[in-house]
Amino acid sequence: MKKHFYTLLILCLSISAIPLHAQQVPVVETNLSNGMRVLMLPRKDEPMISGGWVAHVGSANERPGITGIAHLFEHMMFKGTPTIGTTDYERDLKIIAEQERVRELMRDEEKEMRAMYRRGEIDDVQKPENFTPRYRELEKQFAELIKEQREVLVKNEFDKIYTANGGSGMNAFTSSDMTAYFITVPANKLELWMWMEAERLLRPVFREFYAERDVVFEERRMRTESTPLGKFAESFESIFWESHPYQWPVIGWPSDIPAITKAQADEFYATFYAPQNITLILVGDFDPQQAIQYAEAYFGRIPRGKKDAPDVVTLEVKQIAEKRMYAEAEANPQVDIMWHTVPFGHKDSYTLRVLAQILSTRTGRLYKGLVLGPQIATSTWSHPDHRKWAGLFNIGGEAKESFTPQEVEEAIYEEMEKLKSEEVPPEELQKVKNNFAASEYRKLSSNMSILMQLVFYDGLGNWREINEAGAKIQAVTAADVKRVAKEYFTKENRAVAVYTRKKGASEKEPAPTKTSETTSN
Amino acid sequence: MKRSILSFFTVVSAILIGFNCNETHAQRQQVKTNTASTSAKPKAVGEAAAKGVTSGRKAERKTSATDKIPDRPEKLTFPPFQYDPPNPSAYRVQLKSGPVAYIVTNRELPLINISILVRTGEYLQPDGKEGLASLTGYLLARGGTKSQTAEELEERLAFLAAQLSSGIGETQGSVSLNLLSKDLDEGFAILREVLTAPRFQDDKIALFKSQTMQSIRQRNDESSSIEGRERGFLAFGETFWANRYTTAASLESITKADMQQFHQRWFYPSNFIIAASGDFDSEKMRVKLEELFTNWPFEGETSSDIPTNTAFAKPGIYIVNKDVNQGRVAIMLPGIHRDDPDYFPAVIMNDILGGGGFTSHIMNRVRSDEGLAYSAGSSLPGGVYYPLTFTASFQSKSSTVPYAISIVLDEVDKMTKQPPTKEELHVSKRSFIDRFPRAFATKAQVAGTFAQDEFTGRYAKDPLFWDKYRDRLDAVTREDVQRVAKRFLQSDKYAILIVGEKDEILKGHPNHTVKLEELTGGKITELPLRDPFTMKPLGR
Repeated sequence: MKKHFYTLLILCLSISAIPLHAQQVPVVETNLSNGMRVLMLPRKDEPMISGGWVAHVGSANERPGITGIAHLFEHMMFKGTPTIGTTDYERDLKIIAEQERVRELMRDEEKEMRAMYRRGEIDDVQKPENFTPRYRELEKQFAELIKEQREVLVKNEFDKIYTANGGSGMNAFTSSDMTAYFITVPANKLELWMWMEAERLLRPVFREFYAERDVVFEERRMRTESTPLGKFAESFESIFWESHPYQWPVIGWPSDIPAITKAQADEFYATFYAPQNITLILVGDFDPQQAIQYAEAYFGRIPRGKKDAPDVVTLEVKQIAEKRMYAEAEANPQVDIMWHTVPFGHKDSYTLRVLAQILSTRTGRLYKGLVLGPQIATSTWSHPDHRKWAGLFNIGGEAKESFTPQEVEEAIYEEMEKLKSEEVPPEELQKVKNNFAASEYRKLSSNMSILMQLVFYDGLGNWREINEAGAKIQAVTAADVKRVAKEYFTKENRAVAVYTRKKGASEKEPAPTKTSETTSN
Repeated sequence: MKRSILSFFTVVSAILIGFNCNETHAQRQQVKTNTASTSAKPKAVGEAAAKGVTSGRKAERKTSATDKIPDRPEKLTFPPFQYDPPNPSAYRVQLKSGPVAYIVTNRELPLINISILVRTGEYLQPDGKEGLASLTGYLLARGGTKSQTAEELEERLAFLAAQLSSGIGETQGSVSLNLLSKDLDEGFAILREVLTAPRFQDDKIALFKSQTMQSIRQRNDESSSIEGRERGFLAFGETFWANRYTTAASLESITKADMQQFHQRWFYPSNFIIAASGDFDSEKMRVKLEELFTNWPFEGETSSDIPTNTAFAKPGIYIVNKDVNQGRVAIMLPGIHRDDPDYFPAVIMNDILGGGGFTSHIMNRVRSDEGLAYSAGSSLPGGVYYPLTFTASFQSKSSTVPYAISIVLDEVDKMTKQPPTKEELHVSKRSFIDRFPRAFATKAQVAGTFAQDEFTGRYAKDPLFWDKYRDRLDAVTREDVQRVAKRFLQSDKYAILIVGEKDEILKGHPNHTVKLEELTGGKITELPLRDPFTMKPLGR
């Protein structure tokens, strides 16, 4: 169910089954005068360059009231610059200022509507029927300003320029720990990439800010609210994390998304998009000498931020009792378990990754122990999630017809107990390590795949892991596995979500016997 | 549990060039490519104006390099870019044992990738045995072989870190192996057994049937699954072969003998096309492949033609009621065959209208202007065997579904009323032409693309397809685009599918007067959910 993120192998493995050779990824690292990091990997496979940059900011850097701002900000980074996206910048600025004035008045009304909601006078602050008359009036004024702005707007011009120049796969993502932007351009368009990315970092203009909040709301409906498990997964994570900012969703709480102001976005930008908080990454067909010159000229002119981004100081408190959530969902009965573990780069994180592999895949212990043997589950998953500030380990399984999620849960604990009491046999450990070793090669197959690994590693705190994690994984011993199994997989350290099927009008599940009766005729 | 990583927009399909080998499957996917937009060139604004930027930083204007940076990217000059696509005939080998192979060497990594494409598919399943293709396909690699049980084979593959997979889809079967080059001989011995002597182990049949039942139970859980399925029914007709789904009864009736028979009928060397790429000497690989397919232990059949008797739905609005707060909409029209002479103009027309992501008309209006949807766009994939559909799709909160549909219909209509601007046409063409090399970005893609062309008959019919690709696109005129818009975007033929909360959608939004009944003549049909076990409409 979950995708695992592997690394590239470095050293020569002197193992009986798969002797692989050294495979360092020769990344060139340099720093610009303003503190921006640049990572480069020239590759001649195709006449293209995959370029990206990662800002070391995610939802973990937010606070209650502005949850979702990191992600909303990511959307705003596609709206243009003083020269991209408008035919008349001065008028555009005036309209944006006027829009802000109206929005400020609307926020006063929103405050009043929240008060009405608390008094029980309205049932939902976001329903148009519940808006105050003043708010509706202001809404109309705002709509007029949007119309006026359209006269000078050049829609999605940022995208259009890339598109007309052969750019492909332009996208961005936001996680709890990082925000990244990336694209692939033809090999002769290196300077275009530099121009475009530096320009939007240097002077972004947040046009259409309020329409974009609506887009994000639709994204929230699509991913979280209208999928069978989306809202439960969100709830489960917020139950799991007690003190840590990981407790709120990347997309933000529904009340916060519409309350975020442009002024807050401006402040957020000044704090977290300073050059010393950003890493540029290029993989593909280019000359690194020239790339450094361009980078210094284009990105080097961005002034270093006055202050460094603040650290996330809140540590997750130690969990003291098991947590359980029982949910009825439009899904097959299943169980999902999370244990608190360690963040990225922690010495135990490598062992936990090996442990996850011992449990997963068709020859792994969960599949053998739950799906093949006693046949109580139809699928299982195990996934280590080592984030920047804290980590977790997730295991789950879908119950086979006539079995309960609790039976699946018990079987998972039985497998974990075996790992705590007996060391993994050498052959089994070797099989897992062989797969880590081979995946080092497989992950080198394309520019974009290498770029994304560098994005993740750098975003989590150390790009060198692309070359160093492999050795650390190969060094994991059976004793290490037994030790971490005992240390982290305890009852008081876990949260458990038990899902049973919600009976709806559409489900008229035939008893399994009935199915066989009708078909055996 | 899903990991929370949000992207700027969703790329549902990884199709790079708007069309490729998997066109039959593309029907049920949204296709994202690239595009164009209308606009006058913005007035240049210099550094002075930048001072007023509320959210930007003031640039330091000290270094000489900085002074050379122009205010608009058009002022940059780029080195020339020359690219010639690989030539299929340079890699094509007709093996004496039957198959055609494309052999592409790549010494960068110690890995080998072999894919065997097979002329078979779901369309060959006997009535009442729906699911047979899927079961047979999956169990070839997962059900053991003559000399190894499924468990032994899985353990061995895992120890070698080799990836063996197999499957049979609508119109194609495949067996693929990715492994370290040092293990090639053992890998080929396994491949030979998988292809000629699969075990179809009983417990693995039972397991896969029970896993299939699990997914059958989920058929009404996601509104997106309901949408995908009903799209197919509206586009091709209730009785079309691609709309025959595995039922609890058909699954139960499938036996090991059915699988053995299905396998032996189609898994025969003259039904194979091979794509091989990676760390090998191409002549040595040719010899090995020749050996792999020689002395086949059984005689197969040549498959019949793929039936093309599709039937597009009667015009109207079709709603499936589902308790979710966001409605999913698919606006469909009869589509195009990829060999149609209008194919290239149609690709560009769709790109400008809704295929091209952020600069397409639909995305601009529905998402950027109105904030009504996160993903919005259109697709017009060329069918390989029969015409597919034009589909404009988006997801919006229940109350704004009617308004968003009206906007999309408006944009579709505009495409027929006027040709695109010169700039729109230019941007669209450049986007396809300049990212063309990505179609052959890796050696595995080179072998894979050519093998698919061989499989679908494109190579036989149009051997210089990729050579001429850019010129053909470049030849499209504004008039061509409007002409094909008129041909394909006929407003009296819309079949509009909505999956969502019916009452809320019908109610509409207080700020927008549009009502669903007023769109497309107002014929609204409620489609019942289907019984997941029989796929028959519920409540009838």
